[in-house]
Amino acid sequence: MEAIGNLLWTIVSFYNFLLIRIVIVLVLMLLTAAYLVYFERKISAWIQDRIGPNRVGWKGALQSFADVFKLLLKEDIVPDNANKRIHTLAPMLALFVAFTTYAVIPIGPGLNIAGYEIPLVIADVNIGVLYILALTSLGVYAITFAGWSSGSKYSLLGGIRSSAQMISYEISMGFSIGGVVLLSESLRPIAIVESQSGWMWNAFVQPIGFITFLVSAFAETNRLPFDLPEAEPELVGGYHTEYSSMKFAAFFLAEYANMLIASTLIVTLYLGGWQIPYIETFGLSSGLVLALQIAGFLLKVGLLLFFFIWVRWTIPRFRYDQLMSLGWKVMFPLSLLNIVWVAFLIMVFRI
Amino acid sequence: MSEKNIPAKKRIKDLNSLEKVYFPEILKALKLTLKTMFRPKFTMQYPEEKFIPTGSYRGRPILVMENNGEERCVACGLCARVCPPLAIEVQAAETEKEKERYPVRFEINMLRCIFCGFCEEVCPEEAIVMSKDYELAFTKREDAIYGKDKLLVPVNQLPDKIGFLRNYR
Amino acid sequence: MPKINIDGKEIEFKQGQTIIEAAKDHGIEIAHFCWHPKLSVSGNCRMCLVEVEKMPKLVIACATTAADGMVVHTQSSKSLAARNAVMEFFLINHPLDCPICDEAGECKLQDYTYKHSVGESRFVEEKVKKGKRIQIGPYVMFDADRCIMCSRCIRFCDEIAKDPELTFTKRGDRVFLTTYPGEQLDNLYSMNVVDICPVGALTNSDFRFKSRVWEMSLINSVCTGCARGCNIELWVRNNEVLRLVPKYNEDVNSYWMCDHGRVNTFKFINAEDRVDGPHIRVEGNLTRVGWDEAYAEAASRLKAFGKDEIAVLGSAFATVEDNYIASKFAKSVLGTGNLDFVRHIDPSFGDDILRRNDITPNSLGAELAGVKPSKNGNDFNGIIKAIKEGKIKALYILEDDIIAENSELENVFAKLDLLIAHATNFNKTTVLADIVFPAATYAEKNGTFVNFNGRAQRIRPAVATLDVDRALEGMAMSRWDKFGTKFDRWAQGKHFDARSSWKILVGLASAMGQKMKYGMAEEVLLDMANNIDAFKGLDYDVLGEFGVQLKTVNSKS
Repeated sequence: MEAIGNLLWTIVSFYNFLLIRIVIVLVLMLLTAAYLVYFERKISAWIQDRIGPNRVGWKGALQSFADVFKLLLKEDIVPDNANKRIHTLAPMLALFVAFTTYAVIPIGPGLNIAGYEIPLVIADVNIGVLYILALTSLGVYAITFAGWSSGSKYSLLGGIRSSAQMISYEISMGFSIGGVVLLSESLRPIAIVESQSGWMWNAFVQPIGFITFLVSAFAETNRLPFDLPEAEPELVGGYHTEYSSMKFAAFFLAEYANMLIASTLIVTLYLGGWQIPYIETFGLSSGLVLALQIAGFLLKVGLLLFFFIWVRWTIPRFRYDQLMSLGWKVMFPLSLLNIVWVAFLIMVFRI
Repeated sequence: MSEKNIPAKKRIKDLNSLEKVYFPEILKALKLTLKTMFRPKFTMQYPEEKFIPTGSYRGRPILVMENNGEERCVACGLCARVCPPLAIEVQAAETEKEKERYPVRFEINMLRCIFCGFCEEVCPEEAIVMSKDYELAFTKREDAIYGKDKLLVPVNQLPDKIGFLRNYR
Repeated sequence: MPKINIDGKEIEFKQGQTIIEAAKDHGIEIAHFCWHPKLSVSGNCRMCLVEVEKMPKLVIACATTAADGMVVHTQSSKSLAARNAVMEFFLINHPLDCPICDEAGECKLQDYTYKHSVGESRFVEEKVKKGKRIQIGPYVMFDADRCIMCSRCIRFCDEIAKDPELTFTKRGDRVFLTTYPGEQLDNLYSMNVVDICPVGALTNSDFRFKSRVWEMSLINSVCTGCARGCNIELWVRNNEVLRLVPKYNEDVNSYWMCDHGRVNTFKFINAEDRVDGPHIRVEGNLTRVGWDEAYAEAASRLKAFGKDEIAVLGSAFATVEDNYIASKFAKSVLGTGNLDFVRHIDPSFGDDILRRNDITPNSLGAELAGVKPSKNGNDFNGIIKAIKEGKIKALYILEDDIIAENSELENVFAKLDLLIAHATNFNKTTVLADIVFPAATYAEKNGTFVNFNGRAQRIRPAVATLDVDRALEGMAMSRWDKFGTKFDRWAQGKHFDARSSWKILVGLASAMGQKMKYGMAEEVLLDMANNIDAFKGLDYDVLGEFGVQLKTVNSKS
């Protein structure tokens, strides 16, 4: 008995309770993504003078689950012209990218329970930012595959647009991060967060970089005003026109998971992560500080998510040429300018 | 005269430099939508809370039944003639009563009806009017054909509509 | 030729014509109620008042003889004002019950109210009530309120029907149309007063309230009531003939037709006892079968008889085309010379107006089409005799209920081994028949009738069958016919499974191994035009609207 108990404990406590952390994060992400759909519908309703879903559960709180249930029960249709393997692979890829990216994002500074040092991040990788960039680039494949393999003109157009758009904006995104990395002198997310102590949030230090990153994040997540891949009036459903049932739900879920990642990333890179300015000077107990820091992180993420939704229901969609000219002629030079600005700061103030 | 003499009109898409920056305009829009979020809502909780239309409302067409249980309709067929989607069918017949003509069959196919109200407008007897009834759902095509049994409504249930027709038409 | 100027248009006229006649001949319509081209002039409606230059007052166009050089204004302000005033007088006592009135839609008063009236009445007093729904004859209902006292109906009875029955009583606004004491409006042509009544005062009690005129489609055809062949219009709604109305043809029936033709010659088309689909006698009962089965059965049973054992009877009720194919079928497919048709003569039927003693529409046509015995063949009496003697064992009858007229034949036909009948309705002949083919009625097919004095006239399909589609055949279509779907009850009128007799015979011939290449009725007529002198040069375009007098037939009046 004891041997089995020990084995179990070894497994559970392996690498500072990695399994538990993974499960918690995964469940949290799925729940958040589900509720994001609910809030999206609610907020859009409020903006449009409506009430929004209010039938399933308290004030419609279970609406997302009803939706998922409905999607699960629907017939899964694969078009005759489709490349069936890739058609099935695409939504899996989308979900995979969305969920794995989260592995390197820290929620708090780290926990110390019963002698175990538990970091509040799944993997504390010292090239975390690179990892994120690499994985988000992979996300293009999901959409391109979906568009190409469906064997439908609308899907193909949506997929092509999407890949062009994501590649274009990835450049300004990468250059914006360059500024952050210059300041923190590290690619490790925790180090980046720690470098933004006090009010030295990157958003304030390098506002141009913050704005270019924010806009690029919108484009990367295919959210309005940059949702050209699924521009309904012209492309029916874009890359997921030919998807139904749970495969469609996977894309749907991935979109919201991507939103969540974009938000946490922005918080980590520009809004000081879990940091609350000068909280250590208030003389609070370390446990309370930790709790407040985690709450602060979640609040920041929540506000950003609201911002995502708010923007979606406010601004109309860009035209394709406008999108491209914005990406290459405005965002790209601005992010370069930002690097120069950060370099200048470092040179002058020797931070 | 050449076109050069005509001064160029300021077009809407000619933006000033501040507008071209785009971000201030976005902030304006965000402000507007944020304000809208907190405005009172007009949505009605339909099955529990029902919309009660005014007299001018065009719900499903009905036949007016006099207090003595007779229909006003004399089966002149004008409603059937004017009906753009041919929803109405009238078959007249003779009676011994003072109004010698009556509709032995009067059917409205509610799948065809477009609620235009032309029948009400053309009726010389104020016999077919658009009611306030908007709850129409069928599960079979046959159910959508309303005969006299469903169409006849006593006149005392229609004070709003009759009043509207008398005062405003 | 003398000339008259109407509204600036110089027109020629025949000496003695009135202004209204001269105008009508040249397509100028002068509004009128009481005038009718075939009735005497009474001049009491005052609607046709026109201004004639150099005349002190307005004159009525119907009673003023045209004179050379006369200048007439029908649209001058004076004549317009006069028409307005006359219309206002008419509408004083005319009830506003157009929604109830059957005439609505084809009402002269209604039309003229739109055309010539100011649209408002200054009359606020109570209208005179004289009584509604007075049955003044077996087929005619009178509504005294609506009567505008034009006296057309009175003149019709006096002059055309030659049976004075109607008259006016009282004076002023109390004038009342009534029958003479003890009389009824029951002459043989009484329903024509419904047609000529310019308002809805006299209505057809057979058709009353059945349908609005605008809901129906109409097509020109020929009455099958007797050998006169009056031109008629068939009014159809929802694939059902609802009324017959005479159509003007000066050479045949002018504007009139008799009540028998109008009431009794169309109801069988949608009757309950129509033969719907081919029937074969199985164990004593007629059972509906498919066309191929019926053809095969008829073919195999006919082949069992020798050539002289078979006789074919054409029909004076069927078209020329049907009879031609029947004779061809008898001669070349069956090879029999026993070929004739039955003449139906009713000496009590005819009169010297329109009705003829021959109560079939096409006896002359059947004869001309070649339905007569060959040299060695038997005529009708010979066929009956041969059946009695047992020499003829199989009889093929086209659309004719012979037994109904001569019940003795019932016993004679019982001796037959095979009786094949074409029939529109189940009748006394089909009771004995072994095989019954459903024949299309005259309202369901194209064809030609030849009337008693040799005038060939066309009939056209007005009712669709499974064989004849309304849209594909180019038949007249009402709005309902155009837009109805199978889900609309008003477009689901019964379509019978019936075919023209010639088509049935062509099908049967092919089942017996002899192809006849006719696709449509006109091809049969074209074939006849090539082979029979009487029909030389005919096709449906030549027959046209009013028919053609066959040249080789001596015209009898």
